[in-house]
Amino acid sequence: MYRYDQFDAEFVAGRVAQFTDQVERRISGELSEDQFRPLRLMNGLYLQLHAYMLRVAVPYGTMNSTQLRKLAHIARTYDRGYGHFTTRQNIQFNWPRLDDVPQILSELASVEMHAIQTSGNCIRNVTTDQFAGAAADEIIDPRPVAEIIRQWSSLHPEFSFLPRKFKIAITGAPNDRAAIKFHDIGLMAQQDEQGKVGWAVYVGGGMGRTPMVAKEISPFVPHSDLLAYLESILRVYNRYGRRDNKYKARIKILVHEEGLATLREQVESEFLQVRGGVLNLPDDELSRIKAYFAPPAFKDSDARFDLAALKVSDPEFARFVLHNTNQHAQAGYTSITISLKPVGGVPGDATDAQMEVVADLAQRFSFDELRVSHEQNLVLPHVAIDDVRAVYEALNGAGLGEANVGQITDMIVCPGLDYCALANARSIPVAQEISRRFGSARRQEEIGDLKIKISGCINACGHHHAGHIGILGVEKRGTELYQITVGGNAGENAAIGNILGRGIVAEEVPDAIEQLVEIYLKARSGAEENFLGTLKRVGEAPFREALYGND
Amino acid sequence: MEMIEQSDPISAHQTNAGKDRLRAFGIITLNSMFAQKDASGVLRMAIEDLLADELAVVSSFGADSAVLLHMVSKIDPNLPILFLQTGRHFPQTLAYVKTLSKRLGLANVRLLAPDSDELVRFDPDEDLWKSDPNACCHIRKIVPLDKALGGFGGWVSGRKRYQTEERGALSHFELTSDNRIKVNPLAYWEGADIAAYKKTHDLPEHPLFAEGFASIGCAPCTSAVTNGENPRSGRWRGLNKAECGIHFDVNRRISPAMNKAELTLFRDGEFVADPWGKWVEGTAPVLARYVHVPLVEFVVNRAAYLASLHPLGLLVGAGDDVMEVASDLGRFSSIAVEFPAFTDGRGYSSARLLAERLGYKGELRAVGDVLADQIPLMRRCGVNAFVVSHAATRKALEKGVPGRIDVFMQPAGGDEIPVGTRAFVRRAPNFTVSTP
Amino acid sequence: MEIVTANELISGATVYFLTEGCWGADIDRARVFQSEENAERDRVIKRANASGFLISVERETVRVAKGRVLANRLRERIRAEGPTAPRHRPQKPDIHNAVEFSHVSL
Repeated sequence: MYRYDQFDAEFVAGRVAQFTDQVERRISGELSEDQFRPLRLMNGLYLQLHAYMLRVAVPYGTMNSTQLRKLAHIARTYDRGYGHFTTRQNIQFNWPRLDDVPQILSELASVEMHAIQTSGNCIRNVTTDQFAGAAADEIIDPRPVAEIIRQWSSLHPEFSFLPRKFKIAITGAPNDRAAIKFHDIGLMAQQDEQGKVGWAVYVGGGMGRTPMVAKEISPFVPHSDLLAYLESILRVYNRYGRRDNKYKARIKILVHEEGLATLREQVESEFLQVRGGVLNLPDDELSRIKAYFAPPAFKDSDARFDLAALKVSDPEFARFVLHNTNQHAQAGYTSITISLKPVGGVPGDATDAQMEVVADLAQRFSFDELRVSHEQNLVLPHVAIDDVRAVYEALNGAGLGEANVGQITDMIVCPGLDYCALANARSIPVAQEISRRFGSARRQEEIGDLKIKISGCINACGHHHAGHIGILGVEKRGTELYQITVGGNAGENAAIGNILGRGIVAEEVPDAIEQLVEIYLKARSGAEENFLGTLKRVGEAPFREALYGND
Repeated sequence: MEMIEQSDPISAHQTNAGKDRLRAFGIITLNSMFAQKDASGVLRMAIEDLLADELAVVSSFGADSAVLLHMVSKIDPNLPILFLQTGRHFPQTLAYVKTLSKRLGLANVRLLAPDSDELVRFDPDEDLWKSDPNACCHIRKIVPLDKALGGFGGWVSGRKRYQTEERGALSHFELTSDNRIKVNPLAYWEGADIAAYKKTHDLPEHPLFAEGFASIGCAPCTSAVTNGENPRSGRWRGLNKAECGIHFDVNRRISPAMNKAELTLFRDGEFVADPWGKWVEGTAPVLARYVHVPLVEFVVNRAAYLASLHPLGLLVGAGDDVMEVASDLGRFSSIAVEFPAFTDGRGYSSARLLAERLGYKGELRAVGDVLADQIPLMRRCGVNAFVVSHAATRKALEKGVPGRIDVFMQPAGGDEIPVGTRAFVRRAPNFTVSTP
Repeated sequence: MEIVTANELISGATVYFLTEGCWGADIDRARVFQSEENAERDRVIKRANASGFLISVERETVRVAKGRVLANRLRERIRAEGPTAPRHRPQKPDIHNAVEFSHVSL
């Protein structure tokens, strides 16, 4: 993985020193809150309901054990012994004190981490496929390009005060695990007829109160031109994006109001000017960065899982293998997803002790590599198949052995009204109830892959628009109500879910989900037809009817 | 008179004749001897009687100087004429010194140069005028003049009451604080009198007069004035300064020292006086000068602005498209890019387009909500001057915090990373690209 | 009926303007302003904003029952009591910042 050189170290150290000074000036009263707020936000420090929240960037979700141990240390020393992994592949600490934050940032810097650009109207942490550099279906490892985008976008002098935040996701595989079409810019690796790899560029995706699926603005941009193309999009957006209404300020609204054709024209005309200039990405630079992401020293192995046999001899483990491993490009290896969705737990949370365990496993079994997935789980990307059993046992010992990845209890859930200053309703208790309701292995096995996503408000941090079943918390006359959507899809066939009807109270949510699942189970053509397949075939009517009758 | 009773020590070179004469006449008597506009009478009295052989004329060879010098030439063309050769004059002024001297037959024009050691010491980069115009005047005008006046008992100046408010109390004769007599023959003359005299005697105009310069001093601190402005308002424009200091004297109307907080323009590492004023809606294009004309206004009246000879600036509003004026940038001595709120980042794109794409090389200033933490970013986008009103930003700039940026991750700005010479996207001092 | 609440600068903790005329973490001790006391309430807000150690100063409607002060909004009740699932105690205000003892009184 990428390692800081002297340059990055200096860059981050400079920022820590700067923020340390700003905090001192705030506490001394020299800076007012109005002056300080934008400065702290630029360093990922929010004020939530109960305390500050510090959001630490995990660049494209990639970490090593030293870094995770540092996060554990921070959770233990400066927080309450846990952290929350987010859909942006970052981690949030919920209880830091303002006067500790400079020290936290300095500790992070010591392991090549920071909180820069995890907030504010700038280009946020680039996200990618959690199996990047490991997945069997990958055309190209997206991490070198993600790293180059990270560098290009870090404290960009022109794009630090955009109309609104700006999120870029990149995937090197045709099976989109990074929800790229729900990002301001989504990049998907493409191969042209000559076998040359470049990027299809999607623009204007997003969730929030106006969910949009990104549209293809260019079918193929070669590596060498990618930064120039991104800069062109950003410049057009910076100049013409709406600034009069923050709810209409994302680039998706510009695409929507101006039309894709107009935007493409503006971008292309800018691109003609920028292309071939200083942003041209030379092959040797790409190679230099690629070298950081060279595959680890895999051992030759023809080890494979014999699932059929395992199901008989060790059904629990078989289940773990079935759900929590992903096919690796290297024979004899697999990627393990560590579920942060224990039944009845807080989705995405990990304790300091759990982080230590995972760090240890990464060091011992995964070439010291770790990932955070946008579905709020952790990943050991390169585990020898012969070691999976050992890893599984260690995970079980730490309460991390839940074999539910991709299943109904593997939900994306935002912190909701329990923590968030913007939320209208709680998300975590609703998720906990659903997870308890569907917690049995047999039940989940029967249902198969089904993605539930829960947001506590219209900002949609819980990606409810993209859930096969989405749950949106709203508030009506002091009561938390939950709207149910169906049909969302975060993958390559991205789709936005439709609301089935009026909101229901929290206690009714598990029953409602149960009813939807029952309809699906009854209506599906077979076990291989997933929820979305059935929905597409039979329509929403039966689902709506199940919840609301014929009214 | 209290002036007369002053008993300051007088330098050995200085004669006491002037003082004695003045005592003999009494200053009030003197000042009531001549009709207000009898400049020649005043001058003749001073040259032939009051200060015979002890008098010099101090002339700026500016817009109005020809009048006084013409009168002098008629009385005594050998009278010493002192010209402060500050080193910062318009070339047109230096040429005018020659043409006018020749034309009037002035035989004793002396050029007073500043002390070169002082210049090296206090103004090595010739930019003292920006940060401390008073100090600049001191080195280049006051000290050389003081030295030169050592041998004279008095001097003639061309000052007129109507020029500035401070000069409104001027009389024909004054006793200066260093016990010299200062003679102001033109004290009561109006602009029209000057113009008529010039016309009657067909005196050559200063070359800049036609371009709107009504009072002419050193080039950096002189700007054109608009109809209706007082003639000296183009001097030290934007500063609370109306006098260079050689005339600080009996009327005690000494220009107040510049208050540092009034220097709002940060440029080349320091706060300097801002010579630019505010554009007022409705100003006729031909009258606009030393203001930043809004881009939209400029585009609408493009021909009129292009025809005007006055110094002009351009104001690029946050939503303006700089490409609309791509071919006119050479017309502007300064371009102001507006940041209406610190969160509004459109100006960064405008600045880069101006500096990088359109190659604008002049002053590019950020105006509006300029905060300290944004200045490094603005600089990288080509902004080279900042109008700062925010106290904390000011303090940070004075401390020099956001100076030159040593470390950055991506190329921006025309020459940060020349094509083909990269370490690709980043720069830091002594940084070499590493590989894993 | 309204109370005035804020977050303490250093800890970020939820605090209330108390009947004693100072700031503290216990909502039940919060000064409850009746509608005719709006001017006084606004003075408290103004002073809090000017104090430098309180941020996000807001007023909240409440009701009082059996000596307890209950916020009308769920959001406020969660703010007063901490996250619900699982339950965490609220953040402690910073004593060095002397919230309990700093009189931002009228």
